[in-house]
Amino acid sequence: MTTLTPTTSSKPPQQRRGGFWKLVNIEFKLLRREPMILFWALIFPLGLLIVLGSLTSDKPQAKLGGLPFIVTYTPVLMTFTLTLLALSAMPATLASYRDKGYLKRLSTTPVGATRLLAAQLAIVAGLSLSVVVLIMLVAHFAYNVPLPHQVIGFILSIVLTMTAMASLGLMIASLATSQRVAGAIGGILFFPLMFFAGLWVPQQQMGATLRSISQYTPLGAAVPSIINSDFGRWPGTTHLIVLAVTTLVLLRIAIRFFRWDR
Amino acid sequence: MATLTTPSTAKQVVSVQNLKVRYGDTLAVDDVSLTINRGEIFGILGPNGAGKTTTVECIGGLRKPDAGSIGVLGLDVRSDSKELHERVGIQLQTSLLPDKINVREALDLFASFYPDPVDPADLLRQLNLEEKADTRYVNLSGGQRQRLSIALALVGRPELAILDELTTGLDPQSRRETWKLIEGIRDQGLTVILVTHFMEEAEYLCDRVALLHHGHIRAIDTPANLGAGLGQRISFRSTAALDLDKLRALPDIREVREQGGRFVIEGGGDVVAAVIALLVREQVVPEQTRVEQSTLDDAFVALTSEADAEEAAAQGTGPA
Repeated sequence: MTTLTPTTSSKPPQQRRGGFWKLVNIEFKLLRREPMILFWALIFPLGLLIVLGSLTSDKPQAKLGGLPFIVTYTPVLMTFTLTLLALSAMPATLASYRDKGYLKRLSTTPVGATRLLAAQLAIVAGLSLSVVVLIMLVAHFAYNVPLPHQVIGFILSIVLTMTAMASLGLMIASLATSQRVAGAIGGILFFPLMFFAGLWVPQQQMGATLRSISQYTPLGAAVPSIINSDFGRWPGTTHLIVLAVTTLVLLRIAIRFFRWDR
Repeated sequence: MATLTTPSTAKQVVSVQNLKVRYGDTLAVDDVSLTINRGEIFGILGPNGAGKTTTVECIGGLRKPDAGSIGVLGLDVRSDSKELHERVGIQLQTSLLPDKINVREALDLFASFYPDPVDPADLLRQLNLEEKADTRYVNLSGGQRQRLSIALALVGRPELAILDELTTGLDPQSRRETWKLIEGIRDQGLTVILVTHFMEEAEYLCDRVALLHHGHIRAIDTPANLGAGLGQRISFRSTAALDLDKLRALPDIREVREQGGRFVIEGGGDVVAAVIALLVREQVVPEQTRVEQSTLDDAFVALTSEADAEEAAAQGTGPA
């Protein structure tokens, strides 16, 4: 069993600084090996933007509160990406790492398992923000969707939506007993969340009751906040509070119940 | 043993005093004390549920003991956990890696966690994993996964390596290869704690072993000494008649019996010589003679059944 391959010159000893970025790097590589997740989180929303942007009229629609369809739909696609990455990719990965004993294995190293959690969150945040910006630029230059005039309001809306969804993802990872359960919970929650965002029926066309319920769900609050920012208006305070409260409550539950070991 | 505080000398790598760990109502580890010296391969042996893994998890700083003190490399296990994790490499029982990570990535990743890691390329060569460097974890065989797991425990250049159930689930070939690997590590001066329930493995590798049973340490000694305490067994066939009482009269004889046409004599360390001398005097020619030295296996069975009997007796008389 001795090696027959010629011994290649070993790499020069490189300076190693902190395992965290290496962990981010490897976790990102592993995510890139999951083509389905990348398709749904990155390609699909951009593709849908292009298809709908090209097919629908850019004239203001009275039934959409006087806005062109694609202006109301671009924020929905942004929340789609934020939600999919936080809900389908992260909880299942974390639950599988716990099942495998990988989190426990990491906790025997100087780096520790909390850094893995941080690495996962960094990847979700980095990827979703990139796609959000990409959607924003394509929507603006190809389909005349205004760039957010209320920049701070826009950033606040996006960041709070992201923290709310990431907290939900962490909570699922905390409560799920296995990777399959985590995947299932994420999948089931995805539909009502996106429904209230207006993925199937725009919020403007929902009945009064449905619409007011929607305002108190995280994504139902996120979409009008983004639309308001587009037109230079400050996002509604209630909407921001809904997102912030969602984040805090779910994060508390996640921290309370998170297990590192099977 | 009388001193209250044990100064961690350079020679002593691990010192455990009166360790207790409770799971609910049961004491998983009950008053375990042991010391491990630098450069030693120290085996912790016992059946499933004896408290082996719990003990080493406490030593590795992964579990908080309910009572007792643990010193590892002169560090306090609870307060110096970061430095502890830098200097102690741990291979956990049944710990898997992400499916799609490949061997090289896993080693590079773990190397990046430590201040002065071994060159991953060297380790790949040493562990015979070079050809598998680009293979994903999910596609590795059990033996390859185990070798990678050992590599990950060693990549940080630890002073102490804790290897839990090193060869469970491996075929005999891979098991032998893994043993050779551990011998090589010993030659580099590393201290190793080996958790196992294979007596053969402990006899082959360990300098000293602790026998653990129901959370108690039954014995700590070299494998040879533990076996020697039980003595020898000689058995043979004989066509000539033989007076069993003459055999029983020999010194240090424990048992004499006739079993399936064979005479079986068990006793202390000198029993074989005494029996042969008697046979010569009686002019009996033994055929198909077999001499067996007690092994760690026998020692283990003897010690645990003794302990079980004691416990049964204690329970029988206790509540009355």
